[in-house]
Amino acid sequence: MVLRLYVWGPAFGLPSLDAECLAAIAYLAQTLSAAEYQLIRSSPSAVPTQHLPTLHDPSTNTWITDYTAITAYLHARRYPSSQPRHHASAPRKLTTVQADRAAYTAFLTAHAAPLLALYLYVSSANYGGATRPAFSSVLPFPLPWTEPPAVRAAMSRRAAHLRLSSLDTDSAAVGETGGKDDSAIPGAAITRKSQTGVAGAMAPEQRSRIRLEALAAEVFNVLSSADWQEGQQPPEARCLAFAYLALMAVPVVPRPWLREILERRYRQLYRFVKDFQAETFPEGVEGLPWSQGDADGAGAVAARFARGVLVQVPGLGTLWRQWWTARKRRELRLETASGGGWLVLIGAGLGMTAVGVGVWFYRTLPPFGAAVQVWRRPVASGFGAAGLLLSGALYGQG
Amino acid sequence: MTTIPSSTPGWSKVQIPRPLQRLFDLFPLRAYEPNHLPERSQQLTSSSLPTLYIFTTEEDARLGLPSFNPTCLRWQTLLRLTGLEFRVLPSTNHASPTGALPFLLPARSNSSSSSSSSTSPPSSSSPSQPPPPPPTPIPASKLLPYAQSHANPTKSSHPATSGDRLFPTRARAYVALVSSHLRSAWLCALYLDPSRSDLLDALYLRPASSSAAVRAALRRQLRKAAGEQILDSAPAAGALQSGSGSGSGTGEVGNNKSRGWGWSWQEDGTAINPRAVYASAREAMAALASLLAESKTEWFFDADAPSEFDAAVFSYTHLMIQYMSDGEEEAGALGKMVRRAGEGELARHREMLWRFAWPEGNGEVKEGR
Repeated sequence: MVLRLYVWGPAFGLPSLDAECLAAIAYLAQTLSAAEYQLIRSSPSAVPTQHLPTLHDPSTNTWITDYTAITAYLHARRYPSSQPRHHASAPRKLTTVQADRAAYTAFLTAHAAPLLALYLYVSSANYGGATRPAFSSVLPFPLPWTEPPAVRAAMSRRAAHLRLSSLDTDSAAVGETGGKDDSAIPGAAITRKSQTGVAGAMAPEQRSRIRLEALAAEVFNVLSSADWQEGQQPPEARCLAFAYLALMAVPVVPRPWLREILERRYRQLYRFVKDFQAETFPEGVEGLPWSQGDADGAGAVAARFARGVLVQVPGLGTLWRQWWTARKRRELRLETASGGGWLVLIGAGLGMTAVGVGVWFYRTLPPFGAAVQVWRRPVASGFGAAGLLLSGALYGQG
Repeated sequence: MTTIPSSTPGWSKVQIPRPLQRLFDLFPLRAYEPNHLPERSQQLTSSSLPTLYIFTTEEDARLGLPSFNPTCLRWQTLLRLTGLEFRVLPSTNHASPTGALPFLLPARSNSSSSSSSSTSPPSSSSPSQPPPPPPTPIPASKLLPYAQSHANPTKSSHPATSGDRLFPTRARAYVALVSSHLRSAWLCALYLDPSRSDLLDALYLRPASSSAAVRAALRRQLRKAAGEQILDSAPAAGALQSGSGSGSGTGEVGNNKSRGWGWSWQEDGTAINPRAVYASAREAMAALASLLAESKTEWFFDADAPSEFDAAVFSYTHLMIQYMSDGEEEAGALGKMVRRAGEGELARHREMLWRFAWPEGNGEVKEGR
């Protein structure tokens, strides 16, 4: 049986828009032949592990997620051609190679990932101009409404310790295009901004350029001191380094500060990315063994969308996610589902009730924008003249 | 027929009733003078030695023993390695100007201490004169330059720390192993593991407050923060795995019985898989041990004397061995994990660094608690 790798779909001319997925694809492409694996465009909500990349081995029905775990699994299972083609006879001791692999993997995850998060997710211009459209192109409608914001929030949390959230102008009160909507008076744009002068006219990326360059230098100095040529580094670390650097160097984004730094000052890293890409994906993205997923039906998409919405509900979302994760865990561990069935029933019942109440409430609403007119008929005059008199007294009408 | 206007006035347009307005105008009834700092603060903050504020206990502080907080211990070790003479006081995050420990309070300006007798604190010798302004505290990020400029040159015989302060670039990749994998494992074992809540109580909660309610709230906050930190450094720690052969790097094929404690639930509904966290810690320790075995000297990266990197590794291995040696390895007995890494290089390294940085040997290396 062929291995199935679930990844985020292709974008920017690269096989995946996510670094770990890209690394996993590169690793599989290097170590296995095209007949031994399939790639499936997916999103975290479609796989039982709720995390991408995920490898499914149908022969043992095993689901493995996380890049390091996937590479370790392939090593441990000794897939026929899993001994990497390009790994020349290591001049160094095996333990050293393993230690370097662990260290560079940890370094990339700890330092390159926040930098990439700043570049593609936190920066509003780049997110709106490149990342968000990329997500929209790989996700079926209506999932682009729920999933990219969740990914962006997670990425912002990862980059929070860098204290550069000023790149995110969506949440800031003053936007970079803030003055444009009342451009009738040219001066209004300036008076509305809190920052005037040169700083006000600059994009947030330009304003914090020095700090961004320092951050990038921290990462690139370490990476460029290592030799990333074939056989010098363990393939796991090479693939991961390529994935992070490629997502920095390849995408065309509105504010390409990271690509500029990489291109100008770290030529050898830039060349490594280009060479690696040409060598590993010689036929481009289409040359890879893509396969159609099995959960692309309209019903499955709707369920994923509903789950994405439900998680956002305050209070209920937490309980729901706990229950859902526990259930998925049991499924993965092939345990017998104990209980939980009634929870589904209750949940479905509650959901349908909520929808019904919502529809009823919506229908009782007056048309939007119209003034509410209430007509009251006098109380039925069951008491003849006295009743008329009474109702008149009550409602002030004759 | 009545017509309800479609828009209601905003809060800003609501008028406060006149009587209420008059009542509020009465306050504040009386504004007191600002309080002076208590007398003892002068004495506590003035010493002929710089003072390092860290998480520790009163007795350990008096003896200068290691802190129980890895970050504090790292800087404490480093300061000892530079040969700076300092004293240690227990403190909490709330006392720090940056909101984080450790920080160092330099000695009071030399002019005042030289005019009065240097042995007695200035506040008792000249009570009438206003005390000299307190020195500016130094946060952790600027500790090393301070220590290098103020260290006793005769005692500082460690070129690794007095020379260039930057790690070699390869070391900076390895630092990530310590600061992400080992740190996550430490956080997971100390904060999230319910079987160690006694230890957490003893170390962080009991010194902070004597009220059970405050402690419970604090525990909840700490757990939440620790879980977030773990997930941020390794998002896959919250991902679900199949049972067999999924431990990263271990390749262990186990039956699906979860040993130790299960998953730890976060408040936002995500969960952390401690086995994944411990597996990556084991991998990190193996890598560090092989790095140590490769080194020509007993310290990392062929150095003649322990460096910042040694202090960073020591801060975790020491605390893991001291506090987490009981139980099973899978259940977070990180001390055992340290001893078994490689051929025991990390445990040996820890003992050597202990002898090196605490040569007076007050108290042997404590073995578990």
